[in-house]
Amino acid sequence: MPDLAPTGLAPTGAARRASSPLAAVGRSVASLVGLVGQIALLGRQMLSALRHGQLDRTELVRQLYKMGWQSLPIVAATALFTGGIMVIQAAPIVQRYGAHGLLGWGAGFGTLREIGPLLTALMISGRVGANNTAELGTMAVTEQIDGLRALAIDPFGYLILPRFLAIIVSAFFATVFADALALVGAAYSGSWLLGVEPELFYSGLTSGLLGFSDVAHGLIKSLVFGWLIALSSCHHGISTQGGAPGVGRSVNATVVTSAAAIFGADYLLSFVIR
Amino acid sequence: MTFDPGPDEASEREPSLVPPPRRGQLGRLGEAAIAAISAARDTYGLFVRSLYYTVRGRREPGAVMRQMYEIGNRSLVFVCIVMGFIGMILVYQGGLQTKRVVPDLSQLGATFLEVLVRDLGASICALMLATRVGAGIAAELGSMAVTEQIDALRLCAADPVDYLVKPRFLASVVMVLVLTVVSSTTAYATGMFGAQVFFGINPRTFVNFALIDAVDVATGLTKCIAYGAAIPLISAQAGFAATRGSEGVGTATTHAVVRSSLAVIALDFLISGAFWVAFGDGSQ
Repeated sequence: MPDLAPTGLAPTGAARRASSPLAAVGRSVASLVGLVGQIALLGRQMLSALRHGQLDRTELVRQLYKMGWQSLPIVAATALFTGGIMVIQAAPIVQRYGAHGLLGWGAGFGTLREIGPLLTALMISGRVGANNTAELGTMAVTEQIDGLRALAIDPFGYLILPRFLAIIVSAFFATVFADALALVGAAYSGSWLLGVEPELFYSGLTSGLLGFSDVAHGLIKSLVFGWLIALSSCHHGISTQGGAPGVGRSVNATVVTSAAAIFGADYLLSFVIR
Repeated sequence: MTFDPGPDEASEREPSLVPPPRRGQLGRLGEAAIAAISAARDTYGLFVRSLYYTVRGRREPGAVMRQMYEIGNRSLVFVCIVMGFIGMILVYQGGLQTKRVVPDLSQLGATFLEVLVRDLGASICALMLATRVGAGIAAELGSMAVTEQIDALRLCAADPVDYLVKPRFLASVVMVLVLTVVSSTTAYATGMFGAQVFFGINPRTFVNFALIDAVDVATGLTKCIAYGAAIPLISAQAGFAATRGSEGVGTATTHAVVRSSLAVIALDFLISGAFWVAFGDGSQ
């Protein structure tokens, strides 16, 4: 059985009181490296648990409903507004070149490649990731995870792996849904604000300047984002310590870690996949 | 077998003998709508009272400074790193796409600066702060609410809005503006570097203020102030509404992050739309 709660590298006592700026930099670098290492270990444990088929399918379906289906309203609202914003931002550029037929392209490539996956991931991280950390954290500080082990139930297969998979699947399908809705929102705000007919907008989308590779680019990103959200959320959840305030700290940490990881990964992926 | 501690804890604290009424789809929709409206009303109340106490409340510069440090200085590195990445990604993606249509990339820097000033600088910075600052405020005020410290403040005839919300409100309005300016500058600098490396655009060509006018700057500043006001108020409302122990604090944090992010996106759409309708394209 792999170790569930890796010991943190957080310095205690005398080390925390040493306050020279260099020591502070070193400490934050050390804790950052420790965090990345712990999260990577968790990812490896997930993969090996998945390979051995230790997965509770009922729990997976329940988590998919909670994380995926119940996030749809918030994802839809975000996507519709995002489409409108993309049109307003693309508008001056399109008008400058006098090409209304290009509006669909201008709003489309930004939405599909960058903004759609990015904003969906941020909303999923805020709604699902934070909630998952709070639940797992409450279980960790009230020793319910140890209780599971005492009952010879594998906490990975029963508790963590279903949530892990559910987050990834939710992030992917939420992005598909958000991409489609954002383009609809963009088409209608284009006709409302700029007088560009939705038909012209859609023909701009499909005129050959945008290909399947642009859609795939965004969807690959969303899978990676979902994976990062799941890892950081589960890690911070199960390694929660220190009672109720600890749960609050974990939730805060998971939101910040996911956001930073999402943007870092976005940067790297933009170069790796064309 | 369920491992959710919620029901146990709740039934321990508030032993309700009557089971909650079963609601259909429509009833649940109405319930959600009522909850949303009452949260919006509470947030508006916090806004009005924060403004009132800004003029008439206690004078305690120390509290505002402490919150400014908490919100501003401690987010600075995070926001700058993220915006630095964003600057490079946008220039790379934008350049790649523009090349498909027009071969001339000399306007890339000017267009990037225009988009940054009008929209992306303020909005992406505010989305980052909505997660970091919003979660922090909600967790802090939420723990105070569930341990009844807010009620204790009220018992001492001290309005929690004056003591807790107003300093965060003022600090956030100022620091979101400052962080936006600093991080947008970072993004432009990394974008300039990226343009040089990926497309061989000379920094002298890239730094081009030709497309910036007063309307762009006004749009950006309006957004900064609106986001800076919305994030702490929405998060404080979520924190104050926390009930039921640590689980409630987790829920409050989630609500704060989701609602602040949604508010940033909605305000972005409304303000961009309003300026577009009012002034049209400033560059013509």
